[in-house]
Amino acid sequence: MNPFGVALAVARKDLLSEWRTREMVPALAQFIVLALLIGNFGFQIDSRNAPSIAPGILWLVLVFAGLVAFGRTFAAEREQASLEAMLMTPASPLAIFAGKALAASGLLVVCEAVMLPALSLFFGTPFSGEVVFAVLLATIGMAALGCIFSAIVARVRARELLLPLLTLPLWIPFIVAGGQAVQSAMGLPGSYDQAIGLLIDFDILFVVLTSLAARFVLDE
Amino acid sequence: MSIIVADGLTHRFGRELALEGVDLVLDTAEHMAVLGDNGAGKTTLLRILATALRPTTGTLQIAGLNASREKRRLRHYIGYVAHAPGLYPALSAAENLRFFCNLQGVPQARVDEVLDIVGLRHVADRRASELSRGMQQRLALGRAILHDPKLLILDEPDASLGGDPAELLGGLMRGRSAILATHDQALANRLCPRTLVLRHGRSVGTATHLRVVQ
Repeated sequence: MNPFGVALAVARKDLLSEWRTREMVPALAQFIVLALLIGNFGFQIDSRNAPSIAPGILWLVLVFAGLVAFGRTFAAEREQASLEAMLMTPASPLAIFAGKALAASGLLVVCEAVMLPALSLFFGTPFSGEVVFAVLLATIGMAALGCIFSAIVARVRARELLLPLLTLPLWIPFIVAGGQAVQSAMGLPGSYDQAIGLLIDFDILFVVLTSLAARFVLDE
Repeated sequence: MSIIVADGLTHRFGRELALEGVDLVLDTAEHMAVLGDNGAGKTTLLRILATALRPTTGTLQIAGLNASREKRRLRHYIGYVAHAPGLYPALSAAENLRFFCNLQGVPQARVDEVLDIVGLRHVADRRASELSRGMQQRLALGRAILHDPKLLILDEPDASLGGDPAELLGGLMRGRSAILATHDQALANRLCPRTLVLRHGRSVGTATHLRVVQ
């Protein structure tokens, strides 16, 4: 069985389900716009301080949107008792995990497509390819970590509480490096290339670690 | 030849003893019913036999393979219907089966055959959430035979099935080894020559006719 085929089938199934039910993306997009709006009113934004405040707001909003998006990936499967059916097939747990992470990342990217223009609109910061690239790079590692912890906590009752407690500490490297990359892309001092290099390193590290863990987390 | 040889299967959920020392042998193409009250350990036993749950102690061999070590290889042999149908509500009946074809490595053409077998061809394009409980159960049964397994493990498949469950289930079990957990003793008698009775997680015994163990 082709693991890539399995991963794509799982991702396609999740995206199709979301497209038909529209359970998550519209709500997350509304949350993002409202959070940015609150950030805009909460700070005295002008052209001088916007590049230093906007990246902080961006990562804060992205972290909370990510927690919701990744939290649902395995919780929904558990609730409808479909995870066991999936794991009862000969498909590799890693391929199933990769498919779930791919779909959750896709949904978060859709939310980011709302967030980045809205950030530019509310804060007057530049909407550049460099900012988009940094956010997308961070999304990869955050998705891998978010999905593995989502799979771990899906079987416990207090999963909504546990997921942030487990995930947030490990997302900090992405927030630090991503924040630095976005700040320098918005014209503040700091090396963009160095921050992007760090994001790539973190992506590789956490994608490898979560892939190794996926088999044990899903199999047992 | 025996397809299942289980020896002293025991399972604990924390301190709770759900299953204690159950021995079981099932021959190829043999059908066995598992009876017992709620909480007797039927679902735990079936989940262990389906390799969805690892026993705390005891050994299980399926088709000559150690079920704890070779469970991924055994997934080709086993078709399992759990208590809940476990379907994707936003996908149609056919899409649900097509998705599992991808995971099972089975050609998509099998979907139409299976929909015919479980009598759901006419609702193939209807979303699973719009199907009645009985139709959902039929779809779950269809998913279990998608890869043409040699062993069927059915956990109360007759629940809400409607019509004559024995006809559909008998058809699905024909030519395969099967273990069927049910509360319906008449159904067990019709479909399974042998019955295992569980009480408080322990095997009370097996019998070739239900009246013997009553």
